[in-house]
Amino acid sequence: MFKYILSTTSGDINWMALFALVTFFTIFMIAVFQIFFQKKEYSKYMSDLPLK
Amino acid sequence: MSNLEKFSYDNKIVKMFAQATALWGVVGMLAGLWAALQLAFPALNFSVAEISFGRLRPLHTNAAIFAFVGNGIFMGVYYSLQRLLKARMFSDVLSAIHFWGWQLIIVSAALTLPFGFTTGKEYAELEWPIDIAITLVWVVFGINMFGTIIKRREQHLYVAIWFYIATWVTIAMLHIVNSMELPVHILKSYSAYAGVQDALVQWWYGHNAVAFFLTTPYLGLMYYFLPKAANRPVYSYKLSIIHFWALIFIYIWAGPHHLLYTSLPDWAQSLGMVFSIMLIAPSWGGMLNGLLTLRGAWDKVREDPVLKFMVAAITAYGMATFEGPLLSIKSVNAISHYTDWTVAHVHVGTLGWNGMLTFSVLYWLFPTMYQTKLYSTKLANWHFWISTLGVIFYCIPMYWAGWTQSLMWKEFTAEGFLKYPNFLETVTQLVPMYATRAFGGAIYLVGVFMMVYNLIKTAKAGKFVKDEEAEAPALAKETSHTGEYWHRWIERKPIQMLVFALVAVAIGGIIELIPMAMIDSNIPKISSVQPYTPLELEGRDIYIREGCYNCHSQMIRPFRSETERYGEYSKSGEFIYDHPFQWGSKRTGPDLHRVGSKYPDSWHFNHMIDPESISPGSIMPPYPWLAENMLDTKYTAAKIKTMRSLGVPYANGYEDIALDDLKKQSKTIAESLKKDNISGANIENTELVALIAYLQRLGTDIKVSHNQ
Repeated sequence: MFKYILSTTSGDINWMALFALVTFFTIFMIAVFQIFFQKKEYSKYMSDLPLK
Repeated sequence: MSNLEKFSYDNKIVKMFAQATALWGVVGMLAGLWAALQLAFPALNFSVAEISFGRLRPLHTNAAIFAFVGNGIFMGVYYSLQRLLKARMFSDVLSAIHFWGWQLIIVSAALTLPFGFTTGKEYAELEWPIDIAITLVWVVFGINMFGTIIKRREQHLYVAIWFYIATWVTIAMLHIVNSMELPVHILKSYSAYAGVQDALVQWWYGHNAVAFFLTTPYLGLMYYFLPKAANRPVYSYKLSIIHFWALIFIYIWAGPHHLLYTSLPDWAQSLGMVFSIMLIAPSWGGMLNGLLTLRGAWDKVREDPVLKFMVAAITAYGMATFEGPLLSIKSVNAISHYTDWTVAHVHVGTLGWNGMLTFSVLYWLFPTMYQTKLYSTKLANWHFWISTLGVIFYCIPMYWAGWTQSLMWKEFTAEGFLKYPNFLETVTQLVPMYATRAFGGAIYLVGVFMMVYNLIKTAKAGKFVKDEEAEAPALAKETSHTGEYWHRWIERKPIQMLVFALVAVAIGGIIELIPMAMIDSNIPKISSVQPYTPLELEGRDIYIREGCYNCHSQMIRPFRSETERYGEYSKSGEFIYDHPFQWGSKRTGPDLHRVGSKYPDSWHFNHMIDPESISPGSIMPPYPWLAENMLDTKYTAAKIKTMRSLGVPYANGYEDIALDDLKKQSKTIAESLKKDNISGANIENTELVALIAYLQRLGTDIKVSHNQ
């Protein structure tokens, strides 16, 4: 699907679509990686904030 | 602790926004109910311009979105932000300016839309002075919000606040970009963009108004008020991080799914579709995070109307965000687009998600702020069930109507002809469904009246706490955080959060919009396409004023069922002088892109004055005032000049002779009417003649043949 999208774009805008995809994927993976190693106490502190 | 600081929370501003939410909820839903009844019983248009469907429907959508939900957002934000940051709002004066400014904008909308002052762009109909006022009030809200964040006593920003920040920055961006327009006079402007570009910008805005006005701030409210009401923390704070970043990044791309199979370049359509399908993941992540927050508390849901409404709201959010990606698949959209299916989909979201979450927050806030119990839990439970029934009675007939329309529009006989070539046949089938929908809307509104009564009685029984005393330690001076994770760093820094959120949402917009504006090959020019004549331009403005786009599209998709019915499919090059575009999003009536030259002038004349006389059973409102009102040509020259400034190739000085051309053309139409025995004093100077000129021009720039 992405190959199709990128091949049908006109002009030299392929890099923009690729840049967007790579940026999203990077941020998403960093977020996943970060929360995977997040300390439990910190998570609990944050999720308890509305109840304080 | 020795460093405890005493301060108070401002409940007065929360109460003001809460009252406004209830008031505008009633007004917006009344307008919606009336509009719904007009479709079932067209006599309710009363042949009065100010309340005809085309003008009433924008009033309903604007009131429901910006007045009801808008005030609901501010109510929830002003309450939760103070508590989550352990600080009073930055400035009581700014809070008051925000409140009264927003109400003034709503009143301005109510005073301009029924009188036909509109930009003609869905959900962005308000004219340029009101657009500027919205920008200013939004800035005031931003200063007040960020000022509060800066003087906070809680170091970390809870997930709800991220959603508020993303809402603020994205709505600012969308509103400014989509409202670029050149004024003709104080209450008339033309969109800076034309045709395909205008359509893309509009639906980038339109879809993200749903995303960042109806969704992200309400997710923020969910993340605060659901744990509060259930008295337990959010199910997964980790999931909320993923939910937030994935949702705001992906949402912004999805706009083009409103333009599938239109003249929009294929690459933009595909981007919109792919990202819309991806959107199901973060949306359902958020929904599950909400529902799982109630783990172990489901027994409370049985008793507590607040939780009942929240569960129903989150479930409706889940259903709407499952259906949204489904409707964005091109093959499904080919069936659903322009039908009542979209109306059903939207109302699962607005009545279910926004409406019910707002009710739950109101039911929770009033007893809390008035330090008493809810006047009647039983009545609130009744409200819950009547609302649920209202949503069901609203949405099921609309789904049924949508599928009926689509099937009838596309059905061919064995001989290869359209089975229902007369569009009206497909409309008359729907009237019972429209009546049932109005019944659903009516009982939903009855529920709102029950809530208003319950809240007033609650307020009378309690004592309002205007300034709620609180205390918290001052924010500790920042120490080194070497080695901490990046997200914990931005969770302490509101400006970084704003910048990151802006980058996330801007990427989608830039990738979609800039190539469309920069690359000529996206919109192939057609040499025979010429600017509108002065009379056609005036007629087009009447078309916009009357809100014809609410029921008629001007975009024939490349399907055999459409080219057989309407004629040659629409080309992007045909719209290059359309400021604003008028493609529409719904076909309550037929598409009009190739209506030019299809009927004689007299047909249009009679049809506009009394549609039923030409098309028995038609539910279109009559427009008798168009034959009575004289065309105001005071601004014709200014309109030509404004259009030239926007790139429409009118020759220099043409505005000086435009009125002569206008008169010549109107005389020709008057003569043609006379041949069909339609005459009258000054008939050539009426608004209806201008509208006929526009309608007869539509789609005729390229050679077309009419199949009907």
